[in-house]
Amino acid sequence: MKTKIAAIGEKDIMLIFKAIGADVHPITEYSQAASKIKKLAKEGYGIIFITENIASELDQLIKSYSDQFLPSIVVIPGLGKRNNYALKRLRQAIIKAVGIDVIPEK
Amino acid sequence: MIANVNATRMELLRLKKRLSLAKRGHKLLKDKQDELMRQLMEIIDDVKEARLEIEREFQSILQSFTIAKSKMGPHQAEEALLFPTKKLSVSVTKKNLMSVRVPIYEREVEGDIIPYGYLNTSGKMDDSLINFEKFLESLLNLAEKEKTVQLMAEEIEETRRRVNALEYKLIPELEETTKYITMKLSENERSNIVRLMKVKDIVRSH
Repeated sequence: MKTKIAAIGEKDIMLIFKAIGADVHPITEYSQAASKIKKLAKEGYGIIFITENIASELDQLIKSYSDQFLPSIVVIPGLGKRNNYALKRLRQAIIKAVGIDVIPEK
Repeated sequence: MIANVNATRMELLRLKKRLSLAKRGHKLLKDKQDELMRQLMEIIDDVKEARLEIEREFQSILQSFTIAKSKMGPHQAEEALLFPTKKLSVSVTKKNLMSVRVPIYEREVEGDIIPYGYLNTSGKMDDSLINFEKFLESLLNLAEKEKTVQLMAEEIEETRRRVNALEYKLIPELEETTKYITMKLSENERSNIVRLMKVKDIVRSH
């Protein structure tokens, strides 16, 4: 099954994704991102790249896709401040499954 | 808790059948849970390492890309990348991992990563794009792995709930109810015998 790739994020970062042929959706406000993700998921995009800052705002929405086969939402670090959203999410998944935190804190 | 049942032999047979089925299901689910857990533990470190590695790498690529862009000026950079010649599509296949369906991504690429002529663009741009192209493979890999972890975590949680429901609710309930019925039945039996003996006594004394 063929699937498409999309990227959502700040305009500066989107340019590089455009170069590889992904469908890019630059956004300026977080409120746009939620509806965009929903739309992309419905249209059958397989992989959606999203920058960390936006992802942490849309935590609930992203979690709601975690039990579905498609799409796979991949968090990428953005420019500027880091918030380790992806690692936090990984940790939460483990806690959910195992009941304890097995990833040691740095 | 004892289920609300009639204390009959038929009910007893039915319950015994259900109990043995529940026990078999419990064992199977428990095995599934253990195996899922083992596999999750196996990949979890990989995912974490890959994630850290990719974040580091992506940031350095992004930095060089941004520098290249600012060298060229934002409008020119945008113009240069306006029509990407590279076509990236990914084919997804399902893999069945302990009844969890996980995606396997395979990329299909066409075209060159650099869509512009070399005249007006900075060499740094070329570098960062080529790096990014190489990097894409590991990015897809990570996407696959992270999805696997998420799906497995969900599955484990679900399985654990089922196992617990069987272990702490259904099986004890069935056991108690069968016990209750056997007690009731043997009590009936005894009272019947006693009654017969009593009747016999009365008959004899006449």
